Amino acid sequence: MASTDQVNAPRATASRGWITSGRVSERDTNLIRIGILLGVAAVWEAVSRSGWLFRDVVPSLLAIGASIWKLLMNPAFYANLQVTAWEVFASLVIGGALGIFVGILIGANRFLAAAYEPYVYYLAPTPRIIFFPVMIMWFGVGVASKIALGALSCFFTVALSTAGGMRQIDKVLIRVGNSFRATPWQMGTKIYLPAMRVPVLNGIRLGFGTATVTALLAETKLSNQGLGFMIMQIYARFDMPSLYGLLIIVFVIAGLGNLILGKVTGTSD
Amino acid sequence: MSSASTAAATRPATEAQPQLVIDNVSKQFGEGPEAVLAVDQVSFNVMPGEFVACIGPSGCGKSTLFNIIGGLLGEYVGNVMIDKERIAGPHPAVGMVFQEESTFPWRNVLDNVCFPLELQKIAKSERQDRAQKFIDIVGLQGFEKRMPSELSGGMKQRVSIARTLVSGPQILLMDEPFAALDEQTRLLLGDKITQIQQDLHQTTLLITHNLTEAVQLSDRIVVMTYRPGRVKRIVDIDLPRPRTSDVVSSAAFGKYVAEIWGDLREEASRGMAESESSTATRGKSARG
Ligand SMILES: Nc1ncnc2c1ncn2[C@@H]1O[C@H](COP(=O)(O)OP(=O)(O)O)[C@@H](O)[C@H]1O
Ligand SMILES: [Mg+2]
Repeated sequence: MASTDQVNAPRATASRGWITSGRVSERDTNLIRIGILLGVAAVWEAVSRSGWLFRDVVPSLLAIGASIWKLLMNPAFYANLQVTAWEVFASLVIGGALGIFVGILIGANRFLAAAYEPYVYYLAPTPRIIFFPVMIMWFGVGVASKIALGALSCFFTVALSTAGGMRQIDKVLIRVGNSFRATPWQMGTKIYLPAMRVPVLNGIRLGFGTATVTALLAETKLSNQGLGFMIMQIYARFDMPSLYGLLIIVFVIAGLGNLILGKVTGTSD
Repeated sequence: MSSASTAAATRPATEAQPQLVIDNVSKQFGEGPEAVLAVDQVSFNVMPGEFVACIGPSGCGKSTLFNIIGGLLGEYVGNVMIDKERIAGPHPAVGMVFQEESTFPWRNVLDNVCFPLELQKIAKSERQDRAQKFIDIVGLQGFEKRMPSELSGGMKQRVSIARTLVSGPQILLMDEPFAALDEQTRLLLGDKITQIQQDLHQTTLLITHNLTEAVQLSDRIVVMTYRPGRVKRIVDIDLPRPRTSDVVSSAAFGKYVAEIWGDLREEASRGMAESESSTATRGKSARG
């Protein structure tokens, strides 16, 4: 596992100069990424075998691999995944739609912006999890309270980036549309929407992230299904390999989700 | 400036009707002591196929006049007439090219130029054919699939011009389209504009503060005063056509420049003095 020649891979790139001006090629970045991953794996395995730490805290990669396999074979995993995926999806749809709507209102209307923007800015960085008890009282301990909380966090992210996008539209483009006598519908679809596309889609992508984090976090607090709940179940059994395995799976799924969303919306970096 | 306006009115020796009539147009921004009279009783005509430049120092109300003629400033005093119709909103006969960079950054060159045809719901193949014609005219063939971010300032401005021309305006209205460009690019683009105007017999009103550009391109130059913007003088430019940018080195060209500069210098220095004193006293009308 800890083969040195593979860990050396990034150094080959580095020898061309650490300070790279201009664009780093995608191949180089990928090499560095793989290198870092392998490096972490090597250190992990070394620590695990050294016996310095209590064995179960840092289980061997083999054990983690086996537990990942076992999880992927486990129907309960898929049931929980489905619940969490549904929560994130519903949060994104509800919070995203409301966020775009309110964002456009705030962005388009100076008075609304002056009146409500301070609240949005104060509330936006507040950890949403503190609203969880309220959501439980309103929507119960089931899926609905997680969706509500996820939608809430998603809402702020999307509303802020939409309002920002609306305000940064180049005014001359609107005058161009008017000078060609575009109808209001044409102005909306051919100028406003495309001009705001990047900030809005970026907001949705960020919203996906916050919705995922919020849903998982809420599940670990109080729930009887979902991946967050599963993590806490495994934790209660102190089954460390499965815990790490599940974390890796969640990490990969979230990463894939972000990647797919980036590809679909054309905002991937 | 009644003498100037009568000169403009009596000018058509031919039978042709003016394509654009600007009759006693005034525009004031704001009310009371804060009010700025941007345009004051401006009158002149533009004949079919004619190239007229409107020149004046910065802040003299050129863009205001541009926006009035383009129908983007609904409220004004006096009349701007096209086909005996008073302008009160964007008119299909007028095509505008803006001072600012105005290509759509999310559309490639071809799709930018197609934009006005898209609004008119013209079929895709036809609008691409028509757009291609104007891309060729402004000399951007081969760049159809490029995004504006990949183009130079001069090329982007040519995209804007092609986009306006493709809509088939009777009157092309341009507000300092070359202001952001360097002098060489400006002269060469000027050639392009002259050529377009001659090939298409495009009636054009060019707003500019650049004297060389105005004389190089125009049949007639309307010189404006600094605030309030009035017509100071209208000068006929009898330089031979077809013209190229070489004309700037001719003696006749120099004579026109010197003559108009005499008028313009007065206004420009007035403008400079005023803006200096207004910045000194933290002036009220520092907008624009
Ligand atoms: N929307 C507006 N509100 C108030 N004042 C304006 C507005 N637009 C232009 N002005 C004022 O009118 C005058 C003429 O402006 P403008 O037409 O832009 O001049 P130019 O294009 O010749 O530089 C300036 O003093 C400017 O401050
Ligand atoms: Mg201007």
